[in-house]
Amino acid sequence: MNAKILLVDDEERFRTTLGKMLKAQGLEVTALGSGREALTELGEKDYDVVVLDMRMPDLDGIATLTEIKKIAPQIEVILLTGHASLDAAVEAMRLGGYDYLLKPCPVEDLLAKIESAYERKVTREGKSG
Amino acid sequence: MTARSPISGSNLVPYISVIVLFFAAAPLALCCGPLWGLGALGVAVISLLTTRRLQRRLEKTAGTDWLLDEGLVQAQKMAAIGQLSAGVAHEINNPLAIIRQEAQWMQTLLHPDHFQGVEEAKELYDSLREIIQQVDRGKEIVHNLLDFARKRPPVLQMVAVNKLIQDMAALVAKEADQKGIKINLRLAPDLPQIYADAPQLRQVILNLLNNATYAIQRKGEVTVTTRVAGEEALEIIVSDTGPGIAPADLPRIFDPFFTTKPPGQGTGLGLSICHGIITKLGGRITATSEAGQGATFTITLPLQPREG
Repeated sequence: MNAKILLVDDEERFRTTLGKMLKAQGLEVTALGSGREALTELGEKDYDVVVLDMRMPDLDGIATLTEIKKIAPQIEVILLTGHASLDAAVEAMRLGGYDYLLKPCPVEDLLAKIESAYERKVTREGKSG
Repeated sequence: MTARSPISGSNLVPYISVIVLFFAAAPLALCCGPLWGLGALGVAVISLLTTRRLQRRLEKTAGTDWLLDEGLVQAQKMAAIGQLSAGVAHEINNPLAIIRQEAQWMQTLLHPDHFQGVEEAKELYDSLREIIQQVDRGKEIVHNLLDFARKRPPVLQMVAVNKLIQDMAALVAKEADQKGIKINLRLAPDLPQIYADAPQLRQVILNLLNNATYAIQRKGEVTVTTRVAGEEALEIIVSDTGPGIAPADLPRIFDPFFTTKPPGQGTGLGLSICHGIITKLGGRITATSEAGQGATFTITLPLQPREG
């Protein structure tokens, strides 16, 4: 899998280590600390999958997801939630999110979701292109 | 909390008033005739009886007030725990996520190939595995706290119901054994996995098992049966050989704050939480009982999620 991943989480240590772990799996990863930074980045570069924390100060996961879907609807978004809130996750899916994971979770679970999200994006692009 | 009497300072009032009326009756009889004297005595006796009745009623109400206070304190406690848990959950889960991730990253870095011949390596891997296990335990505790406060909506995943029941039965087996209570499991081998919330379902099963052993007190049997019910549901049946539930109590057992346990021993919330959980999972829970024949709780759960 040669996917380009954008990782967005306000917890610096969390995103740094997760970034390293995903890179170790051969993924191309950029880690950012806020929804606004992510939107700027997505306006400039192409990504395949965004891994987005649900609860962040300023622009939260839901708001960031809504904006992402406006500027780059083809990008798949996986949400991470520290709070076991099915309601918020269902809302995220309704807004076009690909899937969600409860924190803390094994990195293998996230990898599996990234992989299937990437596959869906590639399949879609193949069909439309 | 101690019971209080709101009329403790006025206990002597009826007696004093009767004495006063009695002494008033004699001069009344002398100056106005015996009928007036008898009338005054009658008033004294009636006032005494009425006051005694009122006093008893007040005492009874004070007793209920006390129970109501207990219930309110409990409800306030629950609300406070609910608020606290919702706030704490995120704050705790984030550091837990970081700890888990760091430990997992260390596992990746400390590849066994680099440590061939190093004696401490095995202990190191063991420690890291333990850190991850304890983090998962912490996560479970946070989620359980949310279950308790009923603030957490169900998180649906595939659940092997038989395995879940075995785990919970193992948890209560030791204490039950000490009381001479045997836990029988009659689990259908072909039971399909269902889409449900595992921690919440665990809480329900544990609650029913604890209630059953509490009801039996000493020597008896608790039987948990699972079976397929039609094409779209399964049943979990928990029955005990305890004294059963009184017919008058049966319609109220799922009501919040209803308990047959002495005050201070039960919150009366266990079964109401179970009812809430099962309903939210799209299922139903019912109870049947005949005096002296034990009690049976039947849970019906859909195989696929259904909004309750």
